[in-house]
Amino acid sequence: MRRPSPRAARWLIGLAILILWEAIPRFGILPELFVPPLTKTLYYLGANWIVYGHALLVTLYEVAISMLIACGFGILVGAVVGGLAALRTLMLPVFSSLYAVPIVILYPVFTAWFGIGSESKIAFAGVYGFFPVMLATAAGIRTIDDQFLVAARSMGASLPQLIARVIIPASIPTVLVGLRLGGALTIVGVVVSEMLTAADGIGYLVTKNRTTLNSPGVFAAIILIFALSIMFDLSVRALERRTVVWQTAGRRTPDESAAPRTDTMAAATA
Amino acid sequence: MQRVAHVSELSPVTPTPAVEISDLSHVYAGRDGDVPALSDINLTVPTGRFVVIVGPSGCGKTSLLMMLAGLRAASSGTILCGGRAMAGPDPSRIGVVFQEASLYPWLTALENVEFPLALKRTPRDERRRRADSMLRLVGLEGFDGRYPHELSGGMKQRVSIARGLVQDPPVLLMDEPFAALDEQTRMTMGHELLRIWSQTSKTVVFITHSLTEAVYLADEVVVMSARPGRILDTVEITLPRPRTYEMMATDVFGRLRERIWHQIRSAA
Repeated sequence: MRRPSPRAARWLIGLAILILWEAIPRFGILPELFVPPLTKTLYYLGANWIVYGHALLVTLYEVAISMLIACGFGILVGAVVGGLAALRTLMLPVFSSLYAVPIVILYPVFTAWFGIGSESKIAFAGVYGFFPVMLATAAGIRTIDDQFLVAARSMGASLPQLIARVIIPASIPTVLVGLRLGGALTIVGVVVSEMLTAADGIGYLVTKNRTTLNSPGVFAAIILIFALSIMFDLSVRALERRTVVWQTAGRRTPDESAAPRTDTMAAATA
Repeated sequence: MQRVAHVSELSPVTPTPAVEISDLSHVYAGRDGDVPALSDINLTVPTGRFVVIVGPSGCGKTSLLMMLAGLRAASSGTILCGGRAMAGPDPSRIGVVFQEASLYPWLTALENVEFPLALKRTPRDERRRRADSMLRLVGLEGFDGRYPHELSGGMKQRVSIARGLVQDPPVLLMDEPFAALDEQTRMTMGHELLRIWSQTSKTVVFITHSLTEAVYLADEVVVMSARPGRILDTVEITLPRPRTYEMMATDVFGRLRERIWHQIRSAA
């Protein structure tokens, strides 16, 4: 029997989870209060699409703005801290320690400063997502192969050229890792802060429906957050594929250009 | 007859040497005070010569190269290139080829070769044309769209050579360019370099650890001592050109290699 490809296996596992989601409550293995059947949840979502659609838009708006803040400031501060050795030794340990602090304890302070509307969510999630972006950018710049810089200088590169043509492209892969982490954290930050104190957004719907024991309502919101996270991940991956072509090109895809090389290799070993 | 006499009369003075190093010394600040890295280097490289510098690790070969490339200032002494001092890196006067592939992995082979021209804002068409002809010169026609990780070690160094030559500098500096290659590729690349050199008539200053490589490639081998780096000897390599692999088995080759080895060992 042939083993299924990893891709097929992933789809099969996903499908199995969906079937179990439907079957387990239907056969009474778990009570519907704990896990409502999938179809029932989807039906609830469809019936209340105006409420959920509105909440999704609010959450999306907050996520988008806080991602901009987290990525923008993260890259900016990371570039400065990573690029200047003096600042790096001074600041990097501080930022690394701050990253380990559960920033969610500061959320009540944020609501005091910014109110319970979108502003406090954006500020909180922005700070939450800032750290991984900033740390990754600093690391990306710090770990650039010195040979790249020496070679560029020997070819007569000025400092702006060094930054634009060597430092930025060389640090893109590491920065993207940070964007992925930081972006995911802003989603977490927005949803968690909506769950704690809010009058709108998907996180708020989770909390509200949980207090009324409306489990299809809770799971409908969970489905939307899942979808949001997956969409984010897919778009970051698409971005990665576009910008880091040189890392993956020819490695996985058996393109026609790789063929002659394998031929010569085979000839050499024969 | 008269003409020959005329030339020999003038030849010691007229041609400006490609590289002229005078009384060069370098000291860098170490943890326990100043460390002398290079001491009293005097070296003249006539135009078109292939000069190889050999010496033990830590003899300041790389420091010397960085200074020649205009990337580091010496504590004292002067370096003239084509009769003029190097104020900073100038790839139109000295092209540099580094040890490890210092190619940019996010650029294709062609874009890597174009890089120095792009820094000078050379128009795209001219850039492409010149980079193309350089890739052809180093035997990489048809590989222009490949990224470095799709090329073998030898091919990467061919791209590096093409990049060093693309601005048509009179002098090419090479810092152990084939050190990371396997023995077979290394021999082939040495041979290829001689072919490229004979086609371009550049002055080459080549740094290596390998004595065989040094004797095989050079017109003149400069032997350096361990720290502080001094010039122990310059050995004229009298083997005829074009060089062939068979020459490595000859007595002359062996004696030259032995003489250099003896110099290095007795100084250590």
